[in-house]
Amino acid sequence: MALPLKDRVLENNPLFCPTAAPGRRASEDLIPVLPLEAGEQYRFHFDMTKCIGCHCCEVACNEQNNNPADLHWRRVGEIEGGSYPFTQRLYLSMGCNHCLEPSCLQGCPVDAYTKDALTGIVRHDAEACIGCQYCTWNCQYGAPQYNPERGVVGKCDLCHGRLTEGRAPACVAACPEEAIRVEAVRIDEWKNQYVQLGNAPGMPVADKTISTTRITLPDAAPAELKKADYDRVRPEHPHMPLVLMTVLTQLAVGALAAIWACTLLAGSFAGARMAAAVALGVANLALGASTLHLGRPIHAYRALKMWRRSWLSREVLLFSLFAGAAAAYAGSLWFGLPGAALLGAATALAGLAGIAASAYIYRVPARPAWNSGYTVADFYLTAALTGPLLVAAIGPASRVMTLAAVGAAALQLLNQFSKLLWLARSDEFELRASGRLLANDLERLLLARFGLLVAGGMLLPLMGHPAVGLAAALGGELLGRYLFFVSVVPRNMAASFFTGRAA
Amino acid sequence: MKAGQLLGLDTLREKYAYGYDPEFGYTAAGKIPDRWVETTCGYCSVGCGMLAGVKDGRMIAVRGNPKHPVNEGKLCPKGLSEHYILEAKGRAQYPLLRENGKLRRVSWGVALSAMCGKFRGVQERFGADALGIVSTGQLVTEEFYALGKLARIGFGTKNYCGNTTLCMASAVSGYKRTFGSDGPPGAYEDLEKADVIFLIGANIADNHPILCQRLERNTNKTLIVADPRVTKTAMMADLFLPVKPRSDIALVNGMMHILIRAGLIDRDYIERHTTGFAELKESLGKYTPERVAQTTGLSEERLYRAALAYGRAKAAFIGWTMGVNHSTKGAETVNAINNLALITGNIGRVGAAPFSITGQCNAMGSREAGATSSLPGYRKFESAEDRGEIAHLWNVPVEKIPTSRGLAYPDIIEAAVGKKIRALWIIATNPAVSYPNYDVLKQALESVEFLVVQDGFHPTPTTEFAHLVLPAAIWGEKEGTFTNSERRCSKVNKAVDPPAEARTDFDIFLAVARELGCEDELFAGWTGPRDAFAEWRRVSKGRLCDYSGMTYEALEEHGGMQWPFPEGAARGVKRLYEDGRFPTADGRARLYPIEWEPHPEQPNAEYPLVFNTGRTVEHWHTRTKTAKVAILEAMSPRAWLEMNPGDAKRLGLKPHDPVDVISRRSRVSGVELRITEIVAPGQVFMPFHYEEANSNRVTQSAFDPISREPNFKQCAVRVERSKSAHTAWRQMPARMEAK
Repeated sequence: MALPLKDRVLENNPLFCPTAAPGRRASEDLIPVLPLEAGEQYRFHFDMTKCIGCHCCEVACNEQNNNPADLHWRRVGEIEGGSYPFTQRLYLSMGCNHCLEPSCLQGCPVDAYTKDALTGIVRHDAEACIGCQYCTWNCQYGAPQYNPERGVVGKCDLCHGRLTEGRAPACVAACPEEAIRVEAVRIDEWKNQYVQLGNAPGMPVADKTISTTRITLPDAAPAELKKADYDRVRPEHPHMPLVLMTVLTQLAVGALAAIWACTLLAGSFAGARMAAAVALGVANLALGASTLHLGRPIHAYRALKMWRRSWLSREVLLFSLFAGAAAAYAGSLWFGLPGAALLGAATALAGLAGIAASAYIYRVPARPAWNSGYTVADFYLTAALTGPLLVAAIGPASRVMTLAAVGAAALQLLNQFSKLLWLARSDEFELRASGRLLANDLERLLLARFGLLVAGGMLLPLMGHPAVGLAAALGGELLGRYLFFVSVVPRNMAASFFTGRAA
Repeated sequence: MKAGQLLGLDTLREKYAYGYDPEFGYTAAGKIPDRWVETTCGYCSVGCGMLAGVKDGRMIAVRGNPKHPVNEGKLCPKGLSEHYILEAKGRAQYPLLRENGKLRRVSWGVALSAMCGKFRGVQERFGADALGIVSTGQLVTEEFYALGKLARIGFGTKNYCGNTTLCMASAVSGYKRTFGSDGPPGAYEDLEKADVIFLIGANIADNHPILCQRLERNTNKTLIVADPRVTKTAMMADLFLPVKPRSDIALVNGMMHILIRAGLIDRDYIERHTTGFAELKESLGKYTPERVAQTTGLSEERLYRAALAYGRAKAAFIGWTMGVNHSTKGAETVNAINNLALITGNIGRVGAAPFSITGQCNAMGSREAGATSSLPGYRKFESAEDRGEIAHLWNVPVEKIPTSRGLAYPDIIEAAVGKKIRALWIIATNPAVSYPNYDVLKQALESVEFLVVQDGFHPTPTTEFAHLVLPAAIWGEKEGTFTNSERRCSKVNKAVDPPAEARTDFDIFLAVARELGCEDELFAGWTGPRDAFAEWRRVSKGRLCDYSGMTYEALEEHGGMQWPFPEGAARGVKRLYEDGRFPTADGRARLYPIEWEPHPEQPNAEYPLVFNTGRTVEHWHTRTKTAKVAILEAMSPRAWLEMNPGDAKRLGLKPHDPVDVISRRSRVSGVELRITEIVAPGQVFMPFHYEEANSNRVTQSAFDPISREPNFKQCAVRVERSKSAHTAWRQMPARMEAK
């Protein structure tokens, strides 16, 4: 048999391995050589067939931006499928996807985001940011990340500063496999292509934000690829100032609206002015508490800026109006001034609208367990339960107030149970995972929440103890809101076995 | 927190500002140094060129050196964050001497006099060989060279070895047996030029990721990967061979069997450059595809595909690491691999080499210059001629040169248990995590009268046992050279000062010699590593590992040079044995018949699972360094155990359960369970980096009779859900700061 060894040639023969390009410098063609044309923008291309999961891009990104170790503007995740030995392990590496319609930008109350007109890069201005973290809820890719050390959010800007120098972004330059590149994309073409070319297993399904990252997938992948962090669902951040702020504003709105409605229907009653004063105090406490949620409380006022676009701005605006109206209303009740009925109506209207704005903040597709009518119902029912109870607790126990509270408690109970059923029965991973969290890790808190709701919202008021009932019901609603925050499972890219963001 | 920060003033604006680095462009201002110091990475043996950024006496950044031929600017995640280790907590700062059971700070004078006094005392009472010395693969060559002289001549002990025995001793022994000398014959470039690359027990995507860019560039290759686990590297393969644990000899023999039958061997090469083919062929007769398929668990079809791909290659490269070396049959497996390369003529040509991918940054320097398993310059202890040469070069009486290597590392430990070794000096290694069968190691460390641990870090699990801790400078704080897997010597430079009273290992060795009164005999006129390098160049002259043509200046200019580099040469030699002449007595490479045997501890009803160990890309060895690099530690914060879903179901275990792994020796508790199809049914895998969950509590004391390398892989275990295990991580709150 003729030996194929005869074909062997020596190194100095140029025919040897003609396809190999010796001495090619890395990262030469990893960014576009030509300037962008009109209708184009920059975007990442990630080649899943090349990535070996080495995490170089992540470390290089943190070094480039001097970020602390727990921030990862670029992350590497792992997905696995098939069965031994035909197992498929694949890796994802993702920075920001520089969406065509970025949800981070649309939700931002202070206009800290811009979509760069020249490059299409979604940029974030740390100087403008007040650290409200609303963008971190809006982005389904977890691209914007809050840096508690600095009190602001930050995110991948495609190394804008390096690109303008003609240098590859840090992650691109660091990748030993050339799995990440920057390329130009024709925006109008991409609108028709992103569903096919922008999706990947282990990533949230590209939605109306139209992420621009192009992902090259392996030819044959198993039908089911599981995220490496699939079984590692852990409670999210509780956002305590927001637990306080939402529940207490709802209490105040509920109380003032109840006072107004009651006076309107049955005339003034004993305890109304005291109850209104207390509710006003609670409202101010709540609004004060909300600024503690911000990374940069001193700049809280900036949050009014984007009321035309951002639910968060609208919430701030409406609750500011509410606080003003409530002060006037409580004052007019206290001093018996005329016009109370009108002021009461304005207070109730602003407050109820404020609650709607509050609720709509949480109706973000990236956080499916929040994104439902249950949230709206939850917020209004907290108001309907705790508000009248406050009035009943302060004034002479009124049957109307008690019955209103008991009715709201029953509805809240129904609302919460329906939500649990909805979570448990869902096909969507994040919703089921939320249900799993509540049923397993948070089971005791959930039972306590229901216990307090039944005791404080129904039994105690009916037994004639509205004050104790209020305390219990308020505790129940605070606990419920805590569970609301910690049990949400955000959409996100697959993480590694250990390195999943809390989710 | 300061008031300004509470209010939300941007007090950290400066920290997060950006600037322009003349070399690397737009980047965080905090990462722009005053100067870049060229050096070589101190982790693994890939030997990446680096630039260390120094500002105000601190190393604030590192970059891959774009001009270095090994890595062309790339670094792995460990390299990219290497500067953090210098100011990590737990650096050893002062000499510490144990008094009344407690380590107390002492002066260097007191420390060295205690050390030499105790060592000499033990040697006087129990003989010179009662002192054991265990070194490392982490020092610079100049330090290895100095330590070799100090150990062999200064202390005059035979019992001096390195932790490299836990790592690539099998490759060394295998090379020596086949080719007559140690020395990996190929070059990294071969990964780009071979048309078939066969990786055996080598997970380079996790362990040597920067080599992967070579594979990536090689667009017309067939990559064959043999591994019992579906590693990251296996996922890169064109042909994956999911072999049963330790069936690699059967696999390689089976491939040769097929190739001989198919005539896909290089008879001419065999004829001219090897001996022993007839015996080899005879021994391969029984490795029929049917039998090998049974032994390896591969289908015959897969076996044929692998054999034929290899046999038909124009240039075939074989790379291996610990899957081969960590075995009681390690050296012989290397021989089998060499057999395969030799009979197909896949050596000494572009793209063709049987190539041991080494572990530590300077394991090669230790092998060549360290006087551990051979005398400097690959000279043999057993050869009177070699001993005479070394005695002449060192200007010492030839009687002072040992006639055998003495005890290897595992035998030093067992001799300490048996009280034959009475004092021990451990340098830059952490056996309390890295040595197999922890209980034996513990007994050894507790048995010796005096234990000196010289390390850059304290406390480590090993320094905890020490009577004397000597604080040493680490990478970034000292000068010298590292030699990588492809025999490329690169310059290592000092960027910053060591902390407090820590000194370079080089200084420590000279100071010990001074204390012993043999400094003039060993190191006359030496003031720094440059003097050691000059002497090493003379000593290596004319040897296979010839450094005589290298200078520090030339090394820096070329970004490293490959040996042999004789004086007057214009360039180094990329590949050894291009002429087919080997440093054996008859100039021919030897073919050995190698027989497959089952691994020593087979599973049974009580211990039904085969336990495999390995690494992850984020960590280095026992984590004394990488555990302190926050970004790496966060990516891989604790040990895990990989188990096939079928086994987990049978055991009633759920993902993330804390489990205990139990062997006949001991148990490791509270390991987080990863249920995955990455491992085969009946096997489990665990990383060996973690002191907190140390895989070496269950591994066995089984060593390769030739290389003395431990069989870290394949022991029999059972797995149970932890009862009282340390499972604090389960309760750890979600990452609060991210939202």
